[in-house]
Amino acid sequence: MKLWNALFRRRRGQGNSQQRKAAKQDGRSGKAASRESEDGLSEDIDENLRTIVTELGGSDDLTIRKIDVSGADSIVVAFIYIDNLVDSAMVNQMLLHPLMSEIDDTPSGESSEEWYRRVRDRALAVGRVHEMRTAREALACILEGHTIVFLQGSAVALAADTSGGDRRAVEEPGTQTVIRGPKEGFTESIKTNLSLIRRRIKSPRLRVERKTLGRLTQTQIALVYLHGIAKASIVEEVRRRIDRIDTDSILESAYIEEFVQDAPFTPFPTIENTERPDAAAAGILEGQIAIIVDGTPFALLAPVTFVRFFQSSEDYYQRFGIASFLRLIRYVAFFVSMLLPAMYIAITTFHQEMLPTPLLISLAAQREGVPFPAIVEALLMEITFEVLREAGVRMPKVIGPAISIVGALVLGQSAVQAGLISAAIVIVVSFTAIASFVIPAINMSIAARLIRFAMMILGGTLGLFGIMSGLMVLLIHLASLRSFGVPYLAPLAPFVWTNWKDAFVRMPHWAMKKRPPTIADGSNLVRQSGGQKPKPPGRKSKF
Amino acid sequence: MERISQSQLAAMIVLFQIGSSPLFLLASEAGPDAWISVLIGMIGGLLLLSLVTLQLQRRMPEQDLFDMIERSLGKVAGGLLAAVYIVYFGYKAVRNIREFGDLMILYLLPSTPLWFIILVLLAVAAYAVFQGIEVFSRVAQILLPMIVFIYVALFVAVCGTALFDAHRLMPVLDNGLKKPIESALPELISFPFGEMVLFLLFWKYADRTGGTTRTTLLSYLFAGTFIVITTIFILGSLGPLAEFSVVPLIQIVSLVQTADFIQRLDPIVALLLFGGVFMKMTSYYLGTTLLFSRLFRIGRFAALFPVGVLLFMGSLAFRSYMQHIWFGFEKNLKYHFPIFQIVIPVLLLLATMIRSRFEKNRTTPS
Repeated sequence: MKLWNALFRRRRGQGNSQQRKAAKQDGRSGKAASRESEDGLSEDIDENLRTIVTELGGSDDLTIRKIDVSGADSIVVAFIYIDNLVDSAMVNQMLLHPLMSEIDDTPSGESSEEWYRRVRDRALAVGRVHEMRTAREALACILEGHTIVFLQGSAVALAADTSGGDRRAVEEPGTQTVIRGPKEGFTESIKTNLSLIRRRIKSPRLRVERKTLGRLTQTQIALVYLHGIAKASIVEEVRRRIDRIDTDSILESAYIEEFVQDAPFTPFPTIENTERPDAAAAGILEGQIAIIVDGTPFALLAPVTFVRFFQSSEDYYQRFGIASFLRLIRYVAFFVSMLLPAMYIAITTFHQEMLPTPLLISLAAQREGVPFPAIVEALLMEITFEVLREAGVRMPKVIGPAISIVGALVLGQSAVQAGLISAAIVIVVSFTAIASFVIPAINMSIAARLIRFAMMILGGTLGLFGIMSGLMVLLIHLASLRSFGVPYLAPLAPFVWTNWKDAFVRMPHWAMKKRPPTIADGSNLVRQSGGQKPKPPGRKSKF
Repeated sequence: MERISQSQLAAMIVLFQIGSSPLFLLASEAGPDAWISVLIGMIGGLLLLSLVTLQLQRRMPEQDLFDMIERSLGKVAGGLLAAVYIVYFGYKAVRNIREFGDLMILYLLPSTPLWFIILVLLAVAAYAVFQGIEVFSRVAQILLPMIVFIYVALFVAVCGTALFDAHRLMPVLDNGLKKPIESALPELISFPFGEMVLFLLFWKYADRTGGTTRTTLLSYLFAGTFIVITTIFILGSLGPLAEFSVVPLIQIVSLVQTADFIQRLDPIVALLLFGGVFMKMTSYYLGTTLLFSRLFRIGRFAALFPVGVLLFMGSLAFRSYMQHIWFGFEKNLKYHFPIFQIVIPVLLLLATMIRSRFEKNRTTPS
């Protein structure tokens, strides 16, 4: 008891000291914060400039332009901006020229107050002008590509949004390509991306909430959703989880994805990402919330269910018959890519009796000279393929053909001819690989890829029983997942009939009268009026 | 509290009832009339379910078996009875595990040690129990259509290959009704129809408790009809052979040959049974764990491991599959299980009724 007490007390003592330390840190940062907020701009233009320059450590890309009109004491103007972040033509035309002519028109003897108001209201010919009262605000604006205008005798500076510089134009997206459908893709600019969505949904209900994340990167992100269609509780949850993020950098939307997803340890994605504005718009129209991150063309969509990863935006642009068929093919491909090598191993190792005799004989004949058991053979080939695939993604584009020759000829054909592996396993592995490319969402096909290896080991040790156990674990796992509170297997379990129209098949657009109730707000589900099924003219009733 | 929908409850009940029943020829002593025995057993089970088990639940809709026992018997005796129920449910789980493990060795993995198969199976089940009833019921909801679909496809294949011959069921009731009734009662009520007593632990999780009775009865009838049909199929396809085969259903399927490609379907059936037996066994595992955690006042997660270890040791205790089957069909079904499935629930119901009458009498004058 004594010992326990001693231990306990000691631990508590440590806790106290830690707390104290934390408190001290807090105090320090609190003091720092208060000092910065007190750090208002002065009326002296040179002092302001000096503050900014020291804060930025005299960086060479900082440009200062000072206009000094001799004689008129009050008219001293300074522009300060970062060279490569602003559109310099814009700075010249919209800020410099108007200001110059304003200076010419200035009646003598005007007070600095009047002069400031005149510049603010008339002279700066750009859309967004903010008033800056502290150096910190001004600094943040400079780093975002604004131009700060300091006026002599005024403790308030003006920030004009002149951000520009080189950005990639809107191009066709590299992933999620379609045959029919819009060819625009998101870019790295959040402004462009928001405009691409706004242009598709011209509704006043479309809400954009901007936030800044990343202590060092100060990355802009935006939540985009339709008010009244997205569930308010889910919007609130997304907001809460994003506000909780505390990190120094957000360079891609994946950073946010990992911070806000429901289950941290799962191979399955619980947040969707897309490079296509039409897919994002479709998601928003169904009640999803898009998270757009500056600096990446991949927007996030949440909440999401399992079936969503098997839908391509082209499904809605092609006729529904073929779209449904292709969707079923994708599910088949998912299972093939997850299970085929494992099934091959299990059947050739444990359950040969399942195969028809001629096939069994031909397989046995192929495997005659092969030195490895099926599981080793299959693992070797799978790993070889993964290496090839990784090489194909990472290598410089010029060397591409060399890899395909090495991959196809040397590793495929010669390995079989040399008797190292059987021809059947080459077929199995290639088909598996091709099947894994059919799944439209790359993050879902990655999940299948990882699970494949576990399944292969299960199939090699416990045969079909092992595979079945693995599938059962997978099913239990999937049933336990949630995406922002929405059950991951939503239209299947819990069973939601409305969603089935768009889960495994795609019903015609006129038949999908309601939005998915699992995601969209339950009070506002009707998408369109019924009875829009096209009929030939002159026919009144169904018969 | 976790909630399951009515359709999820239905899926759980159907899968639980189907469970491992198609593995055996039930009431095999009745010969070609075995299906009539099954029908009688089903009706008997229906009476038990609607008059006793469901009545208990309706009287105490928000309570599970543990609360009911404790309320009727008090803390000490109630705790003792709950412990006995833990043994009963655990034993049922053990029987399912053992059946399944031996089946796997017979048909799929002849050279794998039994304990390893049981360990893997228990690990998967433990994962399901760990996730809780909500997730488990979702799994049931997904598996049910698949399993029913495969069974139907199997029946169609059996009919398509002309294996099924209705004459094997003739003559109907050759020896009168006595034999079928004798072989149905109480064995068939004990297995599989009386096992619904387990749902006294699950019913309280259902949403819209008003619909629970209807859902339960409908899904029970569906599963019961399904078992009757399976029995008819086994009898009609194998005839007198059915009595002697270890797993009649697999025997039938091994006779199916179509299109020169599908020659051996028995591994598929073994896997089909995987689904059924797994669901039933996990239901029992979950029930045992829930009761265990209530009795010892620990969390579900903490109860998971001791129960799992007990199940693992218990399932290895039988010397052989044959001993296991003999013990089950000769001893348990006749003498042991009816106590838990019929006697105790009836007593509980009586106690509740008397108590409520008593309380009413006491409250009316005042």
